Amino acid sequence: MTRRSSPLARFGKAVAVIALLAFTLFPIYFMLSTAFNSRAASGTDALVPTHWTFEHFTKAFTDGNFGTYMVNSAIVTVATVLISCGLALLGAVAMARFQFRMRTTVLITILIVQMLPAEALVIPLFLQMKDLRMLNSLAGLVLVYVAFSLPFAIWNLRGFVAAVPRELEEAAYLDGCGWWQMFRLVLLPLVWPGLVATSAFSFVMAWEEFTFARTFLNNEERMTVGIGLQHFFGQNVNDWGGLMAASTMVTIPVVIVFVLAQRRLGTGLVSGAVK
Amino acid sequence: MPTSRWRPWLLLAGPLLVIAGLLLYPIIRVTVLSFQRYGLKEVISGKPEFIGLDNYREAVSGSYLWKTVLPNTVVFAAVTVVGTVVLGTLVALLLQQLGPRLRALVIGSSLVAWALPAVTGTYVWVWVFDPDSGVVRRTLQSVGLLDPEGFNWFTERLSFYAIAALNVIHHGYPFIAITIFAGLSTVPEELHEAAKLDGASAWRRFWSVTMPLMRPVFAVVTILSTIWNFKVFAQIYLMPGGDGSNPEVFNLGVWSYVSSINQNKYGLGSAVAVLLTLVLLVITMIYVRALFKEDELQ
Repeated sequence: MTRRSSPLARFGKAVAVIALLAFTLFPIYFMLSTAFNSRAASGTDALVPTHWTFEHFTKAFTDGNFGTYMVNSAIVTVATVLISCGLALLGAVAMARFQFRMRTTVLITILIVQMLPAEALVIPLFLQMKDLRMLNSLAGLVLVYVAFSLPFAIWNLRGFVAAVPRELEEAAYLDGCGWWQMFRLVLLPLVWPGLVATSAFSFVMAWEEFTFARTFLNNEERMTVGIGLQHFFGQNVNDWGGLMAASTMVTIPVVIVFVLAQRRLGTGLVSGAVK
Repeated sequence: MPTSRWRPWLLLAGPLLVIAGLLLYPIIRVTVLSFQRYGLKEVISGKPEFIGLDNYREAVSGSYLWKTVLPNTVVFAAVTVVGTVVLGTLVALLLQQLGPRLRALVIGSSLVAWALPAVTGTYVWVWVFDPDSGVVRRTLQSVGLLDPEGFNWFTERLSFYAIAALNVIHHGYPFIAITIFAGLSTVPEELHEAAKLDGASAWRRFWSVTMPLMRPVFAVVTILSTIWNFKVFAQIYLMPGGDGSNPEVFNLGVWSYVSSINQNKYGLGSAVAVLLTLVLLVITMIYVRALFKEDELQ
């Protein structure tokens, strides 16, 4: 790229970058500064903390059940990611590698169920879980999260599987590999980046899901972080320091996952759209 | 090549079973519910009664759907889709102009904004605009732009949705920016160089070179964010009044949820849910057509 920009253009770029960073980072900065501030109750005092403290973090664990919520969310999230990515990979291989009758029907079904709003399904799923006696169970929540992340995961992985050259697979057959061996030794390593991106998306979905968790869980011991945060709202006064400390802890795992998966996040969709 | 007729179905059995049981069956069930009288009594007895279109009549009668819920849903979706796509595109174009270090800084910070969960992000914006001690109130008062008695932004529909839009755009633009930036790298540099030599302005190069090549990417991100922003739920429900106490600020999703889960009017809630699903179905059809055109789904 040639970069012989004029001083005016450089000034404009600098202003754009600063404005963008200010908008992007302001809520995150404000969350952190409130979380570490012992005088968090007032907005402008929270903006520039003068009295640093860890008490909001420790109180979230000692006064509230925040530790339990984090453990529950971790269990639900790991189970969701493993099951949905495993199932999605099988589905993606079927869609990308086989010609079969009704293939287009299946593909369009997958695309359409992707748009189903949680709010439309929460009513029947609530009644369904009630019938199955799975309200208040983390397993029920995992089932629902797997269903919700599957369509997108299959769609996303399909592009990665299709990008693996068939010649590699054929070479593996010629070398005497069976289908599962080929899958394990050839396909799996090559679609790994796609699996990383897909797991990142289902991780985030399951970790921060609100609607189903709010509706299905009413036992303190079973709650996940998405709804656990509500406990920092009192009748008359809100514990902003505690809420922001808890929010920080909810955000950190997602940031870690996004940073780890960074280079893979946009490419899946682009490879799906541009061929 | 060892292919069997059953292998694809064997592979698809698990995913399709889950999708059928937990997405397709419930969507049929909610449609059936929408034609039934289904309240607390019927939940207990398990014997609902078919009442035809009564739930739909209740939903569309009067001015509530037309004057409050639909504008809240549609105008909000329109504003946030335009907002996220325009901002995302501008950021992607800016990223192209930056050196590697600044680029990493901008991508890194937008990843953090994207990673901020919808629930925690909403709480932060509620805290920023808190009517009692939020930073916006304190700041405006200290410069004399706000009366000492303050102002509750959350009770007015317009300011409520302005805050929600800020929240959704902040959370949504990084996905668009990163996806478009990844797509821009597929546009051959030579085309831009050639257009530059021919004297095309930056504006002209964007519309005549970048835009046509990037149309599929723009189509996908625009339609995806339209689908997402139509069904924004947690970001509204968690704001003061959005949980049911202020019907002025409901959108389709919140109205459906509050009717059924808070008020046990499952029939009415289901009818609203079906209406929301139909709107999204139309948008999804456009999405599927756009993909079919570009990709042939090979």
